[in-house]
Amino acid sequence: MEAELGLKKNLYMPRTSVTTESNKTGSWRFLRPRYEEKTSPCSTACPAGEDIARIEMLITQGAFKEAWETILRENPLPGVCGRVCYHPCEGNCNRREFDTSIAVHTMERFLADTAARNETKPVLERLPPKGKGVAIIGSGPAGLAAAWFLNMLGYDSEIFEAMPEAGGLLRWGIPAYRLPAAVLSNEIARIENQGVRIRLSETVSASRFEELKTSYDAVFLGCGYWRNIALNIPGESGSGVEDGLSFLKQLRQGAKPDVRGVSAVIGGGNTAIDVARSIIRLGGRAVIVYRRRREDMPAFDEEIISALEEGVELRELLAPVQIAAQGSDCILTLQQMKVEGRDRDGRGRIAADGTSPVEISVQRVFVATGAAAAETWHEPPPAETAGHHTAPLTPHLPLHLSHCTLHQEQQGTPIIYGGDLTNTSKNVTQAIASGKQAAMALDTFFQSGAGTIRERLSGCLVGEGPSLSMEIYMHGPRKERKTHIVSHQEINTDYFQFEPRVIQPRLLIEERTSSFDEIELKISANTAMREAGRCFNCGICNDCDNCYLFCPDVCILRGRDMTERHIDYDYCKGCGLCVVECPRNAMTLGEEEKL
Amino acid sequence: MKKVLEGSHAVAEAVRLAKVQVISAYPITPQTHIVEILSDYVTTGKMDAKYLRVESEHSCMAALIGAQSSGVRTFTATSSQGLALMHELLHWASGARLPIVMAEVNRALAPGWNIWNDQTDSLAQRDTGWMQLYCEDGQEVLDTTIQAYRLAEIVNLPAMVVLDAFYLSHTYEPVDVPDQDEVDRFLPTYEPAFILDTKHPYSLSPLVTPNAYMEMRYDIAMAMDDALEQFDRVEDEFAKIFDRRYGAVEAIDCEGADIVFVTSGTVTSTGRLLLEELRPRGEKVGVLKIKLFRPFPVEAVRRALGKAKKVVVIDRNFSFGASGIFAQEVRAAICNVPGHPPVFGYIAGLGGRDITVKLLEEIYFDVKGSSAPRKESIWVGLQEVNRAT
Repeated sequence: MEAELGLKKNLYMPRTSVTTESNKTGSWRFLRPRYEEKTSPCSTACPAGEDIARIEMLITQGAFKEAWETILRENPLPGVCGRVCYHPCEGNCNRREFDTSIAVHTMERFLADTAARNETKPVLERLPPKGKGVAIIGSGPAGLAAAWFLNMLGYDSEIFEAMPEAGGLLRWGIPAYRLPAAVLSNEIARIENQGVRIRLSETVSASRFEELKTSYDAVFLGCGYWRNIALNIPGESGSGVEDGLSFLKQLRQGAKPDVRGVSAVIGGGNTAIDVARSIIRLGGRAVIVYRRRREDMPAFDEEIISALEEGVELRELLAPVQIAAQGSDCILTLQQMKVEGRDRDGRGRIAADGTSPVEISVQRVFVATGAAAAETWHEPPPAETAGHHTAPLTPHLPLHLSHCTLHQEQQGTPIIYGGDLTNTSKNVTQAIASGKQAAMALDTFFQSGAGTIRERLSGCLVGEGPSLSMEIYMHGPRKERKTHIVSHQEINTDYFQFEPRVIQPRLLIEERTSSFDEIELKISANTAMREAGRCFNCGICNDCDNCYLFCPDVCILRGRDMTERHIDYDYCKGCGLCVVECPRNAMTLGEEEKL
Repeated sequence: MKKVLEGSHAVAEAVRLAKVQVISAYPITPQTHIVEILSDYVTTGKMDAKYLRVESEHSCMAALIGAQSSGVRTFTATSSQGLALMHELLHWASGARLPIVMAEVNRALAPGWNIWNDQTDSLAQRDTGWMQLYCEDGQEVLDTTIQAYRLAEIVNLPAMVVLDAFYLSHTYEPVDVPDQDEVDRFLPTYEPAFILDTKHPYSLSPLVTPNAYMEMRYDIAMAMDDALEQFDRVEDEFAKIFDRRYGAVEAIDCEGADIVFVTSGTVTSTGRLLLEELRPRGEKVGVLKIKLFRPFPVEAVRRALGKAKKVVVIDRNFSFGASGIFAQEVRAAICNVPGHPPVFGYIAGLGGRDITVKLLEEIYFDVKGSSAPRKESIWVGLQEVNRAT
């Protein structure tokens, strides 16, 4: 025996061949660690519910295609959203409490650009065909998303677009310096390649709508708000007064209107900003006239800052009362307003300050104070039919969800209203959220009836919602993720170092104001990987192996590919070191079940 | 080949020549130069070894215990606080009978922070079962490190090669660096007494009951005794190839000396100068250098001190509440010899304070003029200290 053990000298060395395997120290355990992935705060803030913590992890690993596909499972338009989304994810990033948030939108755009440059084809799961067709009216972000997700769920989705090119507001309402046409076309081409059909230049009238109801199993109405809301002041239909959305549309159609002199832009939303910045690029001067204050403007703050940098003038607390033509100019009469308390939405309540109106002379006026549905039949049925006591024939309908409304008349074809028609916040990513919710709601409707929709969808929330995950809906691995939202306190920041956030290169001001070229420039793969490496990956395992390294009992068992990890409960004493040393709260320590 | 080498680099050259396979260390002044150059050797391929970076000296020794158990030759170097942090595992290394070799650079312990020379760090580890070899100069450091592997591997006990901070670790001297084939003739390939082998799994150092623990300790005691004899044999073999030997102790002019100074480390060199100073003046003085501290060469010490009228021990260390540690050991070694000389203990040079020939001379005349020690320990070279009342 001793010779076999290689013992050459007669040392008095106690040794044993009895294995400690028989001493199952796991029986000492009263606390039980387990791998338990949780929800990152960024993903709950994302209206599209993108799995951001995982996306950043994959970028760090250089798995750009997989990261891009992870976005596509929740959002068909990463190239668009990486540019125009207001990225609420970054405002909710746990890293903000450490140094600065991750540049999530920059990463998203990087992935989309990389996939486009390499002409990458995504490999995504698609459920078997259901043999049902859905007509989608409008190819804006809501319609494209609805079509994309319905296609994923096995439906034939067909989009009807009135204009000769698809994209809706993305194509006609957002200037090229924010969203180049090629980027949009690339995204739409991919959506079509996945099997979505888009019928261009096919306006759906009220009668055509009725026809669609009979020839399709369902109709999604996502035709957006295209009718400019009137100011209801004298002179607004006179010459020299234009609506902002139409102006932007002309630009995207290739027109280069003469905007020499000063243009007044009335409004405080993103359209007003887009119009003003476009005027600057065309060589004119732009003055935004807004009846409230800058902090009350619904436009994204970054857009306002860029506009002011480029020379747009902002005049606050001025409400238009009259527009009058004077030769080729317009005299805009404005009432000075003052703030008195707050409105219900938190913005300052305004009222005339009692002074006499002032007049400004401009060459033209653009009205960009909001839009509404173009046709009354685009409007979803009202939420309440108070006093109008007619119980709907189909129980549970119309069903008003957070981002869409499902209706069915007389057991007829189900209609879903979505996008700007139903959304409270009218922006691209909320429209995508609407298309996704509509696809889920419609599928559930066909699978198990309207009465089950709310419950089925509540099981697909990202964290506490309202964002929904299609991956969860389709029973993907993300379904295992706990809804607990990881807080900054739950991150073991000992494992992170202060690192500056990536600074995305931009065109110079003089380059910006002289062309419609995209302002934000590309970043390299190295830069993207470094930025993504700053991400805490809140709540998800990135194979850092801290658990393996710290376990004093060698109880972390790794699979052959070094990714799968299991705990050997025969020997784990439940010390909890692994849970404490997990930098990102992807593990949980719970009480051992009492036998 | 003769080279001008720093003491630290003399250690490193010896480690290279000993073909050490695993090195692990945590940097600490004044030891860092040793592992700095070794890490360089490993990186550049000058040594075929694995260098383990660790987060502490405790982990370092744990890593070497694991590595040595798998059957490879290992090395570390440390100092002061680092050695203190290793303490638990020093016991383990010897109890597990692993011939690990360490270079230990004598440095004072904190507080107050002091990076300079003081022997208390290594002497405080005297009961851990490690052999301890105190060196006087760069050549001895190189030779002793190579010898330490030979000795440790024969008796299966770990060995500590001890050198004074700065006086030795950072001083450049001419050192004869032997050729690899010469060293190979002296130091054969490491043949472990036992190895951990995954093909034949077993565990070492399991629970040992009162039935066996005492025998285990006795076996270590026997190995230590054996080391005293093996040390001489190792030196014989070394001398055959390299024509150099040091001895467990070196008696310098002790024959016929009335007063013998007992020294260790670089103070011995100062003692040699003292002899040059006093002998021509007719003073009957000698120096006994103690190189081997564990195992303690009791017989050799008795022989060397037997005829002296007075023994002076210079301790650059102190055991609080007792005395200088070498003085304790010398007293213990001779106390059973009838008519043994009185032992005068002097404490000098703590925390890197210079021990000069002049200071030793003052001590000599102090002893010469005293019939018996005034105190167990006399602290010399002290400044006026204002003590709180």
